[in-house]
Amino acid sequence: MSKIICSAAIRGARNIVGMAEAKYEEALKKWGPDQKIEFPNTTYYLPIIYGMLGIPVSTLRDVKEVMDKCNELVPATVSDNVWLPYLAPALEAGMATFFAEEIIEAIRYLEEPDFYTKGEDPLPDNIWLGAADDVIMRKRGVEFVDGTAPGFAAILGAAPSVEIAAKIAIELQEKNLYVFMCSDHEGKTMSEQLIEAGVQIGWPTRLVSFGPSYTATVFAMGFATRAAMSFGGVQPGDFVRNLRYNKDRIFAFAMPLGTVTDEWYANAAGAINWGFPTIADTPIPEILPTGICTYEHVVSNVPHDNIVAKAIEVRGLKVTVSKVDIPMSYGPAFEGERIRKDDLYFECGGGRTLGVELTISKDMTEVEDGKVEMIGPDLDQVKEGDKLPFAMVIEVAGRQMQSDFEPILERQIHHLVNYVQGIMHIGQRSIMWIRVGKAAVEKGFLLKHLGKVMHAKYHQDFGNILDKVQVKIYTEEEKVKEVIEQAKKVYKERDARVEGMTDETEETYYSCTLCQSFAPSHVCVITPERTGMCGAYNWLDCKASFEINPTGPNQPIIKGECTGPVLGQWKGITDFVYKASRQKVEQVSAYSLMNFPMTACGCFECVATILPMCNGIMVVSRDFMGMTPCGMKFTTLAGMVGGGNQTPGFLGVSKHYICSRKFLMAEGGLKRVVWLPKMLKEELAERMKPICEEMGIPDFPDMIADETIGTTEEEILPFLEEKGHPAFTMDPLM
Amino acid sequence: MTFEVPKVSYTGKIRETPLGQEGNTVTVGGESCYSFHLFEGEMPYPPKIAMEVYDSEPEDWPDTALEPFADVIKDPVAWARKCIDTYGAEMIALQLASTDPNDKDISADEAARITKEVSDAVDVPLIVWGSGNVDKDTKVLKAVCEVCEGKNLIIGPVVEGNYRAIGAAAIAYKHTVVASTPIDINLAKQLNILLGNLNVPDEKILIDPSTGALGYGLEYCYSVIERIRMAALVQEDERLQFPIISNLAKEVWKTKEVKVPESEAPLLGDMKNRGILIEALTAQCVLLAGADILVMRHPEAINLVKESIKDLMA
Repeated sequence: MSKIICSAAIRGARNIVGMAEAKYEEALKKWGPDQKIEFPNTTYYLPIIYGMLGIPVSTLRDVKEVMDKCNELVPATVSDNVWLPYLAPALEAGMATFFAEEIIEAIRYLEEPDFYTKGEDPLPDNIWLGAADDVIMRKRGVEFVDGTAPGFAAILGAAPSVEIAAKIAIELQEKNLYVFMCSDHEGKTMSEQLIEAGVQIGWPTRLVSFGPSYTATVFAMGFATRAAMSFGGVQPGDFVRNLRYNKDRIFAFAMPLGTVTDEWYANAAGAINWGFPTIADTPIPEILPTGICTYEHVVSNVPHDNIVAKAIEVRGLKVTVSKVDIPMSYGPAFEGERIRKDDLYFECGGGRTLGVELTISKDMTEVEDGKVEMIGPDLDQVKEGDKLPFAMVIEVAGRQMQSDFEPILERQIHHLVNYVQGIMHIGQRSIMWIRVGKAAVEKGFLLKHLGKVMHAKYHQDFGNILDKVQVKIYTEEEKVKEVIEQAKKVYKERDARVEGMTDETEETYYSCTLCQSFAPSHVCVITPERTGMCGAYNWLDCKASFEINPTGPNQPIIKGECTGPVLGQWKGITDFVYKASRQKVEQVSAYSLMNFPMTACGCFECVATILPMCNGIMVVSRDFMGMTPCGMKFTTLAGMVGGGNQTPGFLGVSKHYICSRKFLMAEGGLKRVVWLPKMLKEELAERMKPICEEMGIPDFPDMIADETIGTTEEEILPFLEEKGHPAFTMDPLM
Repeated sequence: MTFEVPKVSYTGKIRETPLGQEGNTVTVGGESCYSFHLFEGEMPYPPKIAMEVYDSEPEDWPDTALEPFADVIKDPVAWARKCIDTYGAEMIALQLASTDPNDKDISADEAARITKEVSDAVDVPLIVWGSGNVDKDTKVLKAVCEVCEGKNLIIGPVVEGNYRAIGAAAIAYKHTVVASTPIDINLAKQLNILLGNLNVPDEKILIDPSTGALGYGLEYCYSVIERIRMAALVQEDERLQFPIISNLAKEVWKTKEVKVPESEAPLLGDMKNRGILIEALTAQCVLLAGADILVMRHPEAINLVKESIKDLMA
């Protein structure tokens, strides 16, 4: 922690504690030790003291113990010639500051009962509200818990002008934050500035004028402390849980506007205990490393037009976008719409023009949330039947964003754009194709609305992994070409990344229990080289799904010690599956058809099973309706495999897994495959190539029989023998 | 050789959950075995039956269901008192059906006022059930929580779309919530996890896995309740160890079979008995599957099920 900040905070704390001591001595003399002291209408006594120390202060006598605690906590002033990490002493100084300030404010209630209005709204002759009573705290606190108000900004001081004060307040209001105001800067207060600007203040508008002194900061901190006790079930005195509750759930931060005095530093240091960072408009030293707070602790010299955005970023607050703001209807109901030639107004991509769409992640500073740029003509500048080249580049940024999530986000473009009424979207990457119907254009649809759609939906659906979204749409040939070049490079890197990922390189696999609603004991284990059998979830999808929905069906599993390298068995996986299948599946192999094969739900793309006479394996896909050499059609086989049962010799697999290096490794892999439907063989041809070459049998696909060779084992056997299929020379399957 | 009854070995226990206010507490849960498997474990609190009361005069009930309440259907307070005084109701379930935007759409404040009056008039635990419209329920049930602070009402249905708002209000004003999910064990578990993450105390959560009437998907509901109990009792699934509530009466009494008069469908037999039996049988099924609280309507159906509970507990 910055030595300058620590020294200042400790000096400030010493002043404040000294002041409290003096007030207390004076009050004791005047009123005696039995005098009651309190904040109005609360069962939480002096809430910070009660929450942190568990001491219920109700008379002046009780203050003694707290004063002793303060003196114990406040460290000696920092000497110039000692260099140490000062974090802990500064945090303790900050804590003592709040205890002392609560005592000061409690004595103020005693001495000047009418100093604060004690209501929800300011009065004509008194704008200072003071501590929130329990009724206000409960009513407003509910909003903190249910997320309608994510947190608060504690503003100390005043903005340089009335206009800036109003602008900051409105921006904070727009983010649904409460604004707790106290203290002054050169005699001016934010609360008075807002009144001067004609802004209505008070609890109902979430602009709360707590008090004119910096000691009123404790009303904000006391509110947070009480919220943890009231809503978090935290017991008085359990300061660890109380502080953690606030760090994790109350998105609050301090925003000092104006000269940061020693006393302000002391308050800011105190707030860090709660996980609330400080974002200042003056050039004070910064504390950037992450530690107590989620991200940075002190960020300074932030320009006023950027201070709210910065504060939100530093505290890790999520933006919510409730509505897709476009002139037509939006929803899944419009996903399947087709735009036929007669209805067509405009199209791009799809081989008619150049077209590309790309989602990439950027640094937080490079993305301005909500910005949609249109480079080139939009639909209001073209006529019916026109075509334009098209490139949409979506740039996202987020503290939790990883480049691995880019392809997952990009894949959403297809259905998210399709949800727009009157628009048809097909394909992805550089084979995308968009058609816009006449009806959409009549309603005022523009290409830039696609940017708005992507901004809103990315925030709604992926808010957990991203914080900012900006969109650039190009319709100029030159620019589109540039984007395509850039995209090609990105696609190549992505494909290489997926190619390079193996089960050995990752320590964490993912579960998928999405299908347990109808196959209660089924647990999918998804590894980099074995995608979900439904074909819909690969390892990266699961990783992202977990980030987005941490209590959802995709949970990380630390694979642990490998107990069967060929079968694909790991201790961590076995334990997880046993528990998640509710003790039904005791052991599972990721790479075997015969030994503890993975259970299946019902949504597998293909079924693999053995052909004993051929000493081989056949795989049939869902779309093949005919008879297969095992004597069963797909539908019959599906009945054998599904339902969460382990049936050795029968396995649900995805198409992708067939071309994996880990495909049924325990049985010898792809080499064992003796029969595939023709259609599937053709579909997989490209992907099979490298595997066959690695096996040293480049013409292996020609050795695999299909329905044109035969649909019984007897029929295909001579073919396999003639081709010299390797399965014959392998160990017996059974 | 003597025959020995094979026994299930249980590792879990349903949470004991006190409902209502001090002095009038009714506790549910606490089972350490499947329903009525008293030879294997304990069922310290027999299942309870809550009687329905509607916030305004019902319009689509068959006369056979209306008849016992004909004198009180316009007055929810009198209705609730009659259920307790005449029929010995152990709990009351106030159905705020008129808050439905597609029905009378009464305001949240109005609903809260009615609830307050009923809650002041009864001395048994009170279940308060919204219309099922996610957004409207959020407003209505929040208002109810606030007005009835400290009464430990049982508030439902709390669903994924509004659990934060209603859950927060329930924490603040100290009520119990009913976590409702559409017949799916995993969704049920997930909502319980989410409520826990929100800090709703574990002794303030009930599970509503959804119920259909006899002949209207009851088998599926039965299986889900049964599986929740299996997960809770033998598979160490802590987030499913909560008592189960089944809001079945409104499902039963909206079916065609209870409404068709005998003159139109002679094969179905006497209309009154038919309705009572369909309700009693639906209740009996979910009871055996594992429900702890049954929300029921007809006093005669209730008597049948009460008898059955008594027999099974003996």
